[in-house]
Parts: sequence; structure tokens; C-alpha cells
Amino acid sequence: MDTRSIIEGIASHDPRIIARAISIIEEDNERSYEIIRAIYGMTGHAHILGITGPPGVGKSTMIGILSRKLTEMGKKVSILAVDASSPFSGGTILGNRIRMQDTLSKYGIYMRSVSNRGMTGGLSRSTWNMVKILDAAGNDFIIIETVGAGQSDIDIVYLADTVIVTLAPGLGDSIQAIKSGMMEIGDIFVINKMDREDSFFALKDIMDNVYERNGWMPRVVGTNSLKGEGYGELIRAIEEHRVFTEKNDGKKKIRYREEVRLALSRIIDRSVWREFGRFLENGEIDGYYDEHVDPNTVAMEIFRENSAFAHSHSVEGRVES
Amino acid sequence: MEAGKNLSSSRPIKVLLAKPAIDGHDRGIFVLARALRDAGMDVIYAGLLPTPEQVVDIAISEDVDVIGLSLLNGAHMTAFKKVVDLLKERGVDDIAVVGGGIIPDDDKPKLEAIGVTGNYGPGTPLATIIEHIRKRGEEARRKKEM
Repeated sequence: MDTRSIIEGIASHDPRIIARAISIIEEDNERSYEIIRAIYGMTGHAHILGITGPPGVGKSTMIGILSRKLTEMGKKVSILAVDASSPFSGGTILGNRIRMQDTLSKYGIYMRSVSNRGMTGGLSRSTWNMVKILDAAGNDFIIIETVGAGQSDIDIVYLADTVIVTLAPGLGDSIQAIKSGMMEIGDIFVINKMDREDSFFALKDIMDNVYERNGWMPRVVGTNSLKGEGYGELIRAIEEHRVFTEKNDGKKKIRYREEVRLALSRIIDRSVWREFGRFLENGEIDGYYDEHVDPNTVAMEIFRENSAFAHSHSVEGRVES
Repeated sequence: MEAGKNLSSSRPIKVLLAKPAIDGHDRGIFVLARALRDAGMDVIYAGLLPTPEQVVDIAISEDVDVIGLSLLNGAHMTAFKKVVDLLKERGVDDIAVVGGGIIPDDDKPKLEAIGVTGNYGPGTPLATIIEHIRKRGEEARRKKEM
């Protein structure tokens, strides 16, 4: 499929072409950037909801219910759910879909499973651009589910307009642990599984620990996904925060800066590895190993000896090694 | 593998595994899901009891390369065919369909004729299945890139 028909397909909201476009974006190459360049003008309408929290608290189930309610309100919703890839094979079992498939089929909601491709932070590198495809495809809401590794899943704070941190009662010490990482990033905190014992203690525990940040007091909501309780309140909180972010474009500027930073670091990474990658191969460092030199010193030495050489060439680095 | 570095920027073969009829024997398909992941593929399991319509919907939304269908209940001639028909109806020709489960030898050529290949039974070495899915997946990927 040529790039022009892909761009037209996105503009006319064709689900098959959107699916294909996301695959191309995932390859993260020149063609991906070309598509993003072409559709960037169509983006900026969607409100991006990030759902994060430890494993097993009910993130996928919650997204199923939330997307249904938003669809019933006449909003167009799409979902990206990120799962962790195997660090050894690079393969991934993408399992988020199972918990929301019935809703997706019934309401025709677009959902895509995404592998994090070994990235830490709860997203994949290409998630940012996938969001742009869905934004250009006329969605009102894009819901992103992070890997669910707990405290380290914080990249979502840059990508989402509204971050929903999901927790459940009975996590005990893990709620304590989460305070350091997750308490700072949530715009809305949800205690799911409110039918469980001690749920009100969990709710109170979170309420005691949220503070106003940049003019927004985080909301704390209790839900029960089995019965669908609390979702009205959750949607109200989302709507309030959406109105709040529309008045304050600070967050969108921070995201823009972060995206430029990511793109820049990708370019730097690639050109640096083109220059220095070869020092790790072909036994170049075996001598250091035999002499028992510490790795940091080796890295410093390689960099110092070769950075002048690297400087004399273009950043693109067309060096024959 | 290198520590602290991204694994790959190119996309692995993406497979949807599904049991498109009333059949809850999912032990085998779980074993296969893990084996395919360990072979470096992206694997989606459609969950229990998806309809052929749902299987095709998922395959298109996720832009998979291969649909792996498994049935142990004897409904393969109806259900596998239904998936193939729906793909055809929606004009999809760049997703390969492979089968497996309890499939009588007499049915295998009939399934092959409608494009469902493999049709492996119990006892088939995982390496054989992985190799077949990889081959069909690469074919489908080449079609997508045309």
C-alpha cells in the first residue's frame, strides 16, 4: 500500500488502513516519520487518557467498561494496550484484549495491542506516534494502558492528558511502595474492586496522600468493575480534568518538548552507535578483559580516544569502519 | 541480546491464536502461544469462545500476519471455513490461516484446498509448527509490503 492511500485512509477513518498505518509506525523508520509528517496537521483533537497501575488491579477490565460508557455518550474511542516483550526472544504475548473483547465487538471500538519492545517506562518508543494516527483518525478519546509494572511505568505522564492511576485494596505494602513513584503522576486515582474487604481504608489511604499539583487537586474515585459502580463519578472526574487541561496548555507543551527530546535522543543514539558500536565487536575489548580493567574505565578510554575522530565526520556518520 | 538496549526496531511476525467455536480445550494453544513468543513472535490469544466474526475483526484490527486456528471438537470443517470465508468477504488476502487440533487425515486436503495449511495434530514437534507459521507469516508480510 502506498503512503498516499494510507494517509487518505487515515483521514477517512478506514479501520483497516488505520491498522496497517499503526504497523508501519511500529517499524519506526523513515516511512513512519513521513506518515506522521503528513498527518500531523490533523492531530490535536483527541483527549489522551493514560491508565496505569500495578498488575492485577483491573486496568483492562476498567478500560472495557470506560470505553463502553464513553461510546454510549456518543464519543469515538480507541484503545492502545501495551504489554511487555520477552527480554530474551523479543516476542510478546499480548493478553489485554481478552478482558475487553465483548465490549469491543459490540460497540465497534478500535483496540490495538502494542509490545513495549524492551523499553522500560511502560510504553514502547512508537506508542507516541501511534497515538497521532488515532488522533488524526477522528477519535475523541484515546485510552492507553501501560505495561503495568508498577512504579517504573511513568512515561505515561508525558504522553497522556489525563493520567489515571488504578489501585486495588489488599495491595498492602505495595500501596506504600507506590507512593514514591505513582502518587506524583496521577490526575485521578481509582481504587478498583471496592467490593473487597478494607476497600474504604485503601480509599482513605490514597485520599490522605494526594496533594494539589500545578493547580489541580487529584480526584480519588472508588469503582467496582463487577457491578459497574463508581464509573459515573470516574467519567465526571475525567471530564473535569479535560476541561482543566484545555484551559492550561502547559501539559501539552511539556509533552511536545518530551517528544522532541525523544526524537533527538533517537537520532543521537543511532549516530553514536554507528560510530562506537564496533568497539564492542570483533574482540576489540578482549585485551581489557585479560588485564582486568574495570568497564567504566574501558568505556571512557574508548570514548576519549575516538571522539575526536568522530567529530571530524558528519553527525550522520558515513564512516567506513 | 544486549543489556540496556532495545531489542529491535523491525517488527516480529504477529500471530493471532484462536479457537473459533465452542471448545474449551485451551492447554495446547497456551503451550503454542509461549513457544511462538519464545521464537520471537508477537502472539495474541483471542480468549475462550470467540466467534469467527470476532476472530476476523481482531485479525484486522491487530494487523496480524497469521491466524492460527485450533479445534479439538470436530467443528473445524465449519468453523475454519467460516473464518476463511469472512476474510475473503472483507477482501483480506494478506493474512495467512493455519490450522491444528484433532483433524482427521481425510479433512486435511479439504482444508488445504481452502487455504488452511498445517493442520497439525497432537504430538507434532513445536519446532515444526513454529517453522510453518514463520514461513506462512513471512509470505503474508511480503504481500502486505507489496
